[in-house]
Amino acid sequence: MQLCCIMFTRVFTFLIFAALLLSTSPAFTQGKKDCSADCSCAISGLVVDASTQEPIPYATVQIKNSEKGIMTNEAGEFQIKGLCEKEYDISISHLGYKSFVHHHDIYHPDLIVKLATNDMILESIVIEGSTIETGLESMTESKLSGKELESIKTESLGDVLSNITGVSTLKTGQNVVKPMIHGLHGNRVLIINNGVRHEGQGWGQEHAPEIDAAMADNIALVKGAAAVKYGPDAMGGVIIINPPKMELSTGHLHGTAGVTAASNGRSVNADLLLQQGYKNFAWMGQVSGLYQGDLRAPDYMLTNTGAREFSYMLGTRYHYKQLDLTLLYSHVQQNLGILRGSVVGNLEDLDLALKADEPYFTRDFSYNINNPRQEVSHDLIRLKGHYNFKDHQLDFQYGFQANTRQEYDVRRGNNNDRPAIDLELFTHTLDLDWKHAPISDWSGTIGAQWLYQDNNNIPGTNTIPFVPNYNNSRFGFYITESRPVGNMELEVGVRYDYQSNSVAGRDADNDVYRQDLNYQSVTGLVGINTSLGKNSSFRSNFGTAWRPPNIAELYSYGKHEFTIDFGLWRHITNEFGTPESIQGVLDQDQRPVDNELGFKWVNTFNHTVKGRSLEVTAHVNYLKGYIYSKPAGIAATVRGPFPFYVYDQTDAIFFGLDASYILQHTSFWESRIQGTYLQARDVSHDDVFVGIPANKLGYKLSFMKQAFGLDEFSAALEANYTFRQYQAPRVITVADIDEANLNGENLFAEDNSNFDFLPAPDGYLLMNLNLQGTLNQFVFGVQFKNLLNASYRDYTNRLRYFADETGFNMVISARYKF
Amino acid sequence: MTILKSNFLALLLLATMGFMASCSDDDDAPEAENEEEVINEVTLTFTPAAGGTPLSFTYNDPDGEGTAPAEQDDIVLAANTIYSMSITFKNTVGDSNEDITEEVEEEGHEHQIFFGWTGALFSSPTGLGNIGAGNQDNPVNYQDTDLEGLPIGLETVWETDEPTSGTFQILLKHQPDIKTATSSSEDGESDVDLEWNIKIQ
Repeated sequence: MQLCCIMFTRVFTFLIFAALLLSTSPAFTQGKKDCSADCSCAISGLVVDASTQEPIPYATVQIKNSEKGIMTNEAGEFQIKGLCEKEYDISISHLGYKSFVHHHDIYHPDLIVKLATNDMILESIVIEGSTIETGLESMTESKLSGKELESIKTESLGDVLSNITGVSTLKTGQNVVKPMIHGLHGNRVLIINNGVRHEGQGWGQEHAPEIDAAMADNIALVKGAAAVKYGPDAMGGVIIINPPKMELSTGHLHGTAGVTAASNGRSVNADLLLQQGYKNFAWMGQVSGLYQGDLRAPDYMLTNTGAREFSYMLGTRYHYKQLDLTLLYSHVQQNLGILRGSVVGNLEDLDLALKADEPYFTRDFSYNINNPRQEVSHDLIRLKGHYNFKDHQLDFQYGFQANTRQEYDVRRGNNNDRPAIDLELFTHTLDLDWKHAPISDWSGTIGAQWLYQDNNNIPGTNTIPFVPNYNNSRFGFYITESRPVGNMELEVGVRYDYQSNSVAGRDADNDVYRQDLNYQSVTGLVGINTSLGKNSSFRSNFGTAWRPPNIAELYSYGKHEFTIDFGLWRHITNEFGTPESIQGVLDQDQRPVDNELGFKWVNTFNHTVKGRSLEVTAHVNYLKGYIYSKPAGIAATVRGPFPFYVYDQTDAIFFGLDASYILQHTSFWESRIQGTYLQARDVSHDDVFVGIPANKLGYKLSFMKQAFGLDEFSAALEANYTFRQYQAPRVITVADIDEANLNGENLFAEDNSNFDFLPAPDGYLLMNLNLQGTLNQFVFGVQFKNLLNASYRDYTNRLRYFADETGFNMVISARYKF
Repeated sequence: MTILKSNFLALLLLATMGFMASCSDDDDAPEAENEEEVINEVTLTFTPAAGGTPLSFTYNDPDGEGTAPAEQDDIVLAANTIYSMSITFKNTVGDSNEDITEEVEEEGHEHQIFFGWTGALFSSPTGLGNIGAGNQDNPVNYQDTDLEGLPIGLETVWETDEPTSGTFQILLKHQPDIKTATSSSEDGESDVDLEWNIKIQ
């Protein structure tokens, strides 16, 4: 504690001094004069059609409650000068379009107004200034929003994200889905949910983020190592999930109500969003729920794959002159069933399951959720504010998160009613960012972040806790700056983090162990963003990232499903060079475990001309001290032999390519081709890893027209092919392990390279058909998923040993907007 | 400007105080849990029906799910003798001393112990045991039943044949909502699966 506080105090003292120094320095105070003093404030922007993106000439832009107004020129542009106020309401109108009022201030220059035609269900919207989520211009960012997101947001977050090239999923059955970016997941991918670092029990492969995608207004994905901005864990990338924006002066109550029903799982999903904005104040409320029964593979039921989800969100916004405050509360609660047939007691059971035609315990359809299952909840309170002055902006944000996780396993007798894992995690975060006014062409942000966590096991599980209790304090500060150099934008950034953990757990003998751990790291980034001619652009970003080892990697001990794992501090190598478990716990002196470091370089080339758009992203990520578990031997237990794994560190390289090409054939027809290629290697051992997502290639043909008496009709046919993972490690069957055990051999003494019980599954083709119609304020949709009812298994689904993926599914949806 | 400055400083101050307040405490250790998941000791006790000293044979894995090797006695029985056998399951890892036999008995309707052996070890039961799909009706002299009248296997009777040697397997299956008159050793999860060397002399 003492060390961390001393460090922290020093850093903060430094920051306070820096702030004082900068805010009084002449460069800042002289920067720009106050435009309201001499009525020299101005506003400029562009008005376009919301659906065609074509500029709208002669649209009227009027400052409310004043004489000032102007019409857009031929190119849809407008500029109003000589304003005495820094903020005001502007009204934008044009014949045949929905006119609307927007609250504007001078801190958001260059607005783009997207006007919707009268007969469209879309509302007119305004996009203010830069829409880059990270504020980092050299980072490659993809976004899901609007219609595209609406049609898929009833799926799990991981499945929603997998619509972006380069993103895949790590699944445990159908309900537990973790997003993977360029082959990395869990503590190597950071999720910013509603502006706050999402903190859950991310260390487990079967722990999906406790986030309801139905509550998101838009989702952005950053493929680079944006650790400089966000701190540890952002090694593979960052997922940014944004709630609906609370607009001021909306005039009347707005909202959407939607209901979705699916044939597979016989599920119903409903959601409602309400919001209203006044002059200085806006509010919103949102609620969503899912009721799902057992899913079905083409040839059998997937027993115990039902799910329940309930979430809501409340928000208010207050705006007064330069100050903007939002307060948000969100709650997510999930009860997720896991395939009953995936529970095995020992290797013989696993072998039987591998050879079975259908999973064991397959029963008729039911809405019941029995063990194994997960009950999780996540609550978030967030207070966020902006304060604008001169050309500076100060952002501050406080977040409190309460995360609970209960995992129920198939156990003996009354223990079935007790969770085997019962954890609560409380997290406080405080973020301060200061976007300063340009100083000799350099513009950028200086920020500091503080995090405090308390993780506790809730007593009563009747099993020794899998992970210890801990408290975690972290402090980090950073600076990112960019400036134009020739025709490109140069960006640089640097960050420092300090983290201190206090850990207390129980070893296999129920004896207490206590440890204090400290970590620190410096990260940096350098990048460029440049245009190549009129239609092309190129971004290149090199960033470093880090994360400390997580609790599972350090302290795991014992059986988990059909393997036995020992953490870095729960095993030693004996005098014969063979790893063996120990009853106690090692520490940093006995076995130093360094931070995992990442060096990721991402390059994106974009070429867009009328009707054609190409984007190619090439990435390489070198991970030093990559923590993974490797097979180390066979442990004899009362259940028979088990392979055991020990956590270890190695150096790894991940590299690949994401590409997408969109071709507009006519104004109605569009083709889209996209593909991902990924390679991952253990550089130190010249080996491959288990569970790296396979390469994919997809084609989508879509059609959109006013037809069948609808305001808009659209249809899309998708064909996605997932290749067989040809870089899968060697196969060692249960029979091989049994035989070695019988002969008293150590299978892994000579060759401890990675292995799998089964070869990687074959490639598969999935086809989907989506139909959607819009009439007045209604949107109706029918989706046919897995149109061919193909039986397949996915390499990155951990239950691929036991069952096929889900078969044909028809999803009907209706949405009303007002 | 001054207003701004003081706002900013106030925030920094607030943050510092928050940090000071929270970074000082060490976390409490989790409460001790009664480990009811692990079985590391299995004892087979053969009592001669005609009277005499009971013979006990033990499997003990001192560190449970750890990598340390287990110690297992070889079963040695007299030829042409009737024994009643009882089985106990325990967790004795570290300081634990949890008898899991009672649990298995209480939850008899979701547990069954299956047996398998090689060669002509026994004159009764005949055959090679009831392990394997479709073998559930093969003879084993179960002496205990659950509430449904189905065998559990904590108590059994064995009559040895002429002197020989071979192996003897016991398989404890956990079969919640699955155990029926027709369920086999391939249904449910294996909680114990041990093979013993056996000698009839």
